[in-house]
Amino acid sequence: MDNRFFSLFNLTEDRAIEILDTPQDLVSENDSRYIAASHLINFRTDRSIAALMRALQQTDPSLDNKIVRRKSIEILGRLQAADALPAIHGCLQDDDCYTVENAAWAIGEIGTQDPEILADLTKLLEKPGQSYRVMIHTLTKLNYQPAVPSISKFVKDADPPIASAAIAGVCRLTGDYTQMPQVVAMLQNPNVLGRRLSIQDLMDARYYAAIPDIASCPVSLVFRLRGIRTLAEAGIGDGSLTFAQIQPYLEQSLRDRPQDLKLVHSYDRVPELPALIRNLYETDFGKAYLATQTIVESYPETAPAALFAAYEEEANNDYGAHFHVMKIMGWLKHAPAYNLLVEALHNTQPQFQKSRAAAAIALAEIGDVRAIPELHKSLETKIWDLKYAAIMALEKLGDNSGYEILADDADWLVRAKAQSKQRP
Amino acid sequence: MKSVVTTAIASADAAGRFPSTSDLESVQGSIQRATARLEAAEKLAANLDNVAKEAYDACIKKYPYLNEAGQANSNDTFKAKCHRDIKHYLRLVQYCLVVGGTGPLDEWGIAGQREVYRALSLPTAPYVEALSFARNRGCAPRDMSAQALVEYNALLDYAINSLS
Repeated sequence: MDNRFFSLFNLTEDRAIEILDTPQDLVSENDSRYIAASHLINFRTDRSIAALMRALQQTDPSLDNKIVRRKSIEILGRLQAADALPAIHGCLQDDDCYTVENAAWAIGEIGTQDPEILADLTKLLEKPGQSYRVMIHTLTKLNYQPAVPSISKFVKDADPPIASAAIAGVCRLTGDYTQMPQVVAMLQNPNVLGRRLSIQDLMDARYYAAIPDIASCPVSLVFRLRGIRTLAEAGIGDGSLTFAQIQPYLEQSLRDRPQDLKLVHSYDRVPELPALIRNLYETDFGKAYLATQTIVESYPETAPAALFAAYEEEANNDYGAHFHVMKIMGWLKHAPAYNLLVEALHNTQPQFQKSRAAAAIALAEIGDVRAIPELHKSLETKIWDLKYAAIMALEKLGDNSGYEILADDADWLVRAKAQSKQRP
Repeated sequence: MKSVVTTAIASADAAGRFPSTSDLESVQGSIQRATARLEAAEKLAANLDNVAKEAYDACIKKYPYLNEAGQANSNDTFKAKCHRDIKHYLRLVQYCLVVGGTGPLDEWGIAGQREVYRALSLPTAPYVEALSFARNRGCAPRDMSAQALVEYNALLDYAINSLS
């Protein structure tokens, strides 16, 4: 699990419990029970679990308290607190649909075969206004066959992500995968959340045939890599796939060229450069990739100066635009960006993590051999995609030593890459 | 895009009927509040950067423990995430004010977003805290009229409620 953000608030366990136990109307202006509940993810102890269960019993309907309850349920799920199951089960009847959603999700995390809980979850599929995707995911994850008829009712739902979850759920529960291409088609949904969620459903369904489609889905490479890596791990594990089969798609995603994506947006005319640069701040990366491609094709001469200016002004503090600036500098082979890229390569702030592998690829595009020792430092990190990208970048710069250095790496995918080349 | 008007028409159409009195009343109510909503939308658009910046600056000031140095718990994480995403949510709030319904937040900010945050273990607390600050900070008539502020705060509450 990615835990980069878990210790965001730097509280002790005692202090977090104390804040969480404070009645909502007595909480000081300087504290937040919501943050306290979130923070207890760091403490898998009986004390923390008991405190979260106490918070769950506080049923004051104010918004401030309601969000604390929901967060407490989620954290109990993350901590896989089996003792909390009866209390969480009770939350399935709550009037608040997000409390119910978190309870359904937490039940899936904790895991149970209790027929009463599973039957109650299934009944929620008949109740209006619920988060059906989450119910379907949990019932499928827990392999509850009696839910198939209820889940089947959603396969033609007007909401594509719900239909996608239902199709994937029925396929998994019945073993009949013939409808899965409909889920694959969702990778081209105009809504970015629809695209991201279909990757999740393809992962959950272990639908290996979708790997090439995931690789060209216009969402952030974080989602693509997560999908491909999860499917590769499962497929190689059960003998359905080999590393060589997934390698081109994995590396296509790591390289992340916009022309390798099937973009779902288009411009009716080429926008001005400032407008394109604004699009790099889009939370829908599909739009940002379209802007990237257009900048590289239409403004190769003027873009670097404008990108440096944007970086100085705002992009240095925006983890989306930061990433795209690094990529574009590479595609433009803009040598004066060398220092900027090296800085990004070594930036340890967690929100800029994806910019590091992007900088590695961009440095290789620029072709400056001064980057070789810098990339060697990246081989020593614990970030798999950075190490993998560094091997690729070093190879492009004529240095194949990354293969040897990481041949026994702790990460299985990095190791597979490193061992994919015959040693001399 | 879902709005009070499209919802009323869609439900009438689904039943093969003309809009009912209650459908028309809800549309009428939405139109009556349109001036206030558009005032809030205009004021928010003019101050989006300031509102977003103030929200996360205030959060950091408010929570002393956010200022303590650490590894992954750096302020920069909090600030950068907040700054980018708070602006995104405020923009969706602004669209909702224009539309007169929660469609933009529902479709672009909420549906599936909760799932993505959970799946990637991303923290929702910074957004919730910053949006709560924005909600508590608004002041009538300094920032906008009282009625406009009611519309604005209702949508901030909606965003806080659905993100947490």
